[in-house]
Amino acid sequence: MNNEIPVSALGPQGEVMAHAVDACVHCGFCLPACPTYTILGDEMDSPRGRIVLMKEVLEGELPLADAAPHLDRCLGCQACVTACPSGVPYGELITSFRGWSEPQRERSAFDRAKRAAILKILPAPKVFSVAARVGQYAKPLAPLLPAALRAPMDLLPERVPAMQPSARVTPAKGKKRGRVAFLVGCAQQALTPNFNAATLRVLARNGIEVVIPEGQGCCGAAALHTGARDEALRLVRRNLDAFDPDEYDAILSNAAGCGAGLKEYPVVLHGLPDEERARAFSAKVQDISEYLNGLLQSGDLERPMPTSRHLTVAYHDACHLAHAQGVRAAPRQLLKAIPGVTVAEIPEGDLCCGSAGTYNLEQPELANQLGIRKAGHILSTTPDLIASGNIGCHTQIQSHVRRQGSRVPVMHTVEVLDLAYRGEL
Amino acid sequence: MTPEKVALSPGSPAPKPRSNGTPDNRLAAELTRALGPKKVLSARSERLNYRYDAIQFGETPLAVVLPETTADVVTAVRAARAAGVPIVGRGAASGLSGGAAPLRESLVISFTRMTRLEVFPERREARAQAGVVTLAVTEKARPHGLIYPPDPASFRTSTIGGNLGENAGGPMCFKYGVTGDYVKGLEFVDAEGEVHRLTRDAYDLAGLLIGSEGTLGLITEATLRLTLPPKHTRTLMASFPEVGEAAEAVSAAIAAGAVPSKLEFMDTACTNAVEDYLAVGLPREAGAVLLVDTDGDDLETVEEERALVEAACLNAGGTVRRAGSDAESAALWQARRSVSPALGRIRPQRMNEDIVVPRSVLPDVVREIRALGDASGLPLVQFGHIGDGNLHPNILFDPRREDVHAVHDLAHQIALVAIRHGGVLSGEHGIGTMKRPFMREAVDPVTLGALWSVKRALDPSEALNPGKILPDEDEAHAHP
Ligand SMILES: Cc1cc2nc3c(=O)[nH]c(=O)nc-3n(C[C@H](O)[C@H](O)[C@H](O)COP(=O)(O)OP(=O)(O)OC[C@H]3O[C@@H](n4cnc5c(N)ncnc54)[C@H](O)[C@@H]3O)c2cc1C
Ligand code: SF4
Ligand code: SF4
Repeated sequence: MNNEIPVSALGPQGEVMAHAVDACVHCGFCLPACPTYTILGDEMDSPRGRIVLMKEVLEGELPLADAAPHLDRCLGCQACVTACPSGVPYGELITSFRGWSEPQRERSAFDRAKRAAILKILPAPKVFSVAARVGQYAKPLAPLLPAALRAPMDLLPERVPAMQPSARVTPAKGKKRGRVAFLVGCAQQALTPNFNAATLRVLARNGIEVVIPEGQGCCGAAALHTGARDEALRLVRRNLDAFDPDEYDAILSNAAGCGAGLKEYPVVLHGLPDEERARAFSAKVQDISEYLNGLLQSGDLERPMPTSRHLTVAYHDACHLAHAQGVRAAPRQLLKAIPGVTVAEIPEGDLCCGSAGTYNLEQPELANQLGIRKAGHILSTTPDLIASGNIGCHTQIQSHVRRQGSRVPVMHTVEVLDLAYRGEL
Repeated sequence: MTPEKVALSPGSPAPKPRSNGTPDNRLAAELTRALGPKKVLSARSERLNYRYDAIQFGETPLAVVLPETTADVVTAVRAARAAGVPIVGRGAASGLSGGAAPLRESLVISFTRMTRLEVFPERREARAQAGVVTLAVTEKARPHGLIYPPDPASFRTSTIGGNLGENAGGPMCFKYGVTGDYVKGLEFVDAEGEVHRLTRDAYDLAGLLIGSEGTLGLITEATLRLTLPPKHTRTLMASFPEVGEAAEAVSAAIAAGAVPSKLEFMDTACTNAVEDYLAVGLPREAGAVLLVDTDGDDLETVEEERALVEAACLNAGGTVRRAGSDAESAALWQARRSVSPALGRIRPQRMNEDIVVPRSVLPDVVREIRALGDASGLPLVQFGHIGDGNLHPNILFDPRREDVHAVHDLAHQIALVAIRHGGVLSGEHGIGTMKRPFMREAVDPVTLGALWSVKRALDPSEALNPGKILPDEDEAHAHP
């Protein structure tokens, strides 16, 4: 798409944006992949439409406030990136655009407070844990609250567990095969501490020493994707200081959103002093399923015990794993490596569940529609178990599956593996 | 022929940003009153997104209607007529000839929310509203053991209404026919807002609407014929050192009696663009690649046909690879479907042609076009449904690097090659605005006059998609 974007006035991110706009040939191949287009059926809420809107704003032809409602509805799921044959880096475009435009947004005081709260609470596990427990007690009051406040409560699990801090170093069991660094993540430490516990157990069992480097913090994705660019840059640099890629075989994350965020660091720092460091760092980043599948493929993964009865596991592709990181096969391979497990493919599997970071807090109605649709599709496979690799999807799917009356357990892929190792599946 | 994105050429005046809010023109206000705010887009930020299709940017419409029923369409057409505003129908805007891009301030009627679809297996029929996505028809028919064969490369995105508007075809069409061959009946709204239901007896008025690119009526619903899928399919890929040889192999295979269900061709630039994107192992060094499916219910015949094609390819100097599994053939066909957009990686814009020539002259035509491309120095690629003689020479360009006049020039020369060899200007993408300027060279004045008579009979005030297909009548007479 021809553009007149004043690149030089926009700085290094301007280059990223202009390149993405240029690469789009407006063929429309991305339309059916887009969850908001699927639900709303209009061009402004499609990837192609959003690219045009951003272009118009950047060119000074359209006021930001006019484009904003449609850009805000974008889940950032990157399904359009998977679908686009022209290789348009839509994710880079929308993230850069949000960073560029946020300082110019006029937001209501309530909106600002809500965003500030999200950005403060999400990345701080301890605060989150307290907030979640307060929220849990307030749950009975939820029906009385406005939708914007009700949404986060609806997502809280029935029981918010206590925080379990992880050891700084988890030694390898048996023959030591490798040494990795682990990003512990934010919200999931509070909501689902077993994700990390299972991850450490599975890695140790396979002879991998796991280091949790001190000084690490939030990956910065939430800040970045909501446009809080300065905050994101601060978090990114903090992690670059905390992790020395030369020290580890890999830097692992077990949350798809965080992993995608870590892999994005070179784009965030494009044209800035730490770009090279970011490149070296992100080259080492892997999702836990990628890393374990690497062991599986080289014959180094300990064989899980067979399940006690045949199990159908519906595997849900988290957008930030499948679309943003292109990791689809690895988690399926791992699940299939458990004797007795069949992996069920979910209809419309590429469509986002509606969680998408802070989306169900910011766009509760659309998130809800997508959640209902996703839960229906998942349950149509009559699974014994639902697996996924992302805390956001986990809470969204769990809450919607429960609302549709099903008690099927929802787990992280590594939890399933962990249970299989312990003969508890 | 106009290049893509006319509205954004350097130096075009930048419209002043105006803010969102209440409808800013009477038509939008009237439509909002009649249909409610959910079905009408009147804010500029919304309307801006309805000024393009997959090839061209046009004028921002005055209003956009997203109808859910035929009655909504009628309301919208009447309101536009009363306001004296032209009407442009729009599906997924994946069209490649500028058909859905308004040339003046218009009302755009976008069918993407008219998605009701019913399948009647006992009658082997589907009834689809205009906005149903093409692939959805087969998806819904498959559990009943049926398929809907027309398969444009855009079938995941394009709508039945748009397919009918362009009489879309695809790889399957060599053996199974194009969209129009599967239409049993149509419902359409005419320029006055009257609803008509057509079958295909008496005067084949439905046939007239198919391929009319929204210039004769707005199609709201179609009854489509479904078929049984073939029991067996075999796929092969052949590569050739040079494009003309591929064309020779095609002519020879068909002369020998093979009726492949798909017979597609890509030249080296396409192969490489797709390989960059998908990495499915296409031969990068080949001058041209053929992709062929033979199918049918009798495996022996299917294999025999594949052997015929294989022999023709080997004779013409090609190397042949048989797809060993369904997964392999699926990957090869995905590769073919990705050609068009994958070219966007080479240059941001392209001039896309859609010529059809008699198969006997294919080798000459392909070679002549290749030579024209080489001489011009512009990146030129060729691919297409070569079994039908349908070629898509594409000129890739970046207006900042390449001279747009040279691009036009080359496009014109290519069109002349087709006409000189007894070919036509459009196989499936339509005339739209892109090929309209060539119509006078391609169609004789008497025939053009007949086309104008048809247009006047159905749309006397030229309210429907003006500026598409037919060159202005006066000019037609002035340049016989
Ligand atoms: C990458 C790519 C590959 C393609 N491959 C093929 C291919 O293999 N074969 C092929 O034939 N085409 C192909 N096309 C072109 C395009 O997809 C087809 O022409 C398709 O039929 C257009 O459908 P649409 O819904 O996008 O229609 P649009 O582009 O929205 O509209 C097309 C025309 O139909 C009119 N129209 C739309 N809806 C209606 C209606 N309800 N009533 C009356 N008129 C209407 C419009 O006014 C316009 O003139 C390709 C396009 C792309 C981008
Ligand atoms: S698929 Fe890619 S090139 Fe096509 S419209 Fe979408 S983003 Fe643009
Ligand atoms: S990121 Fe997801 S929601 Fe946003 S435009 Fe792409 S497909 Fe649509």
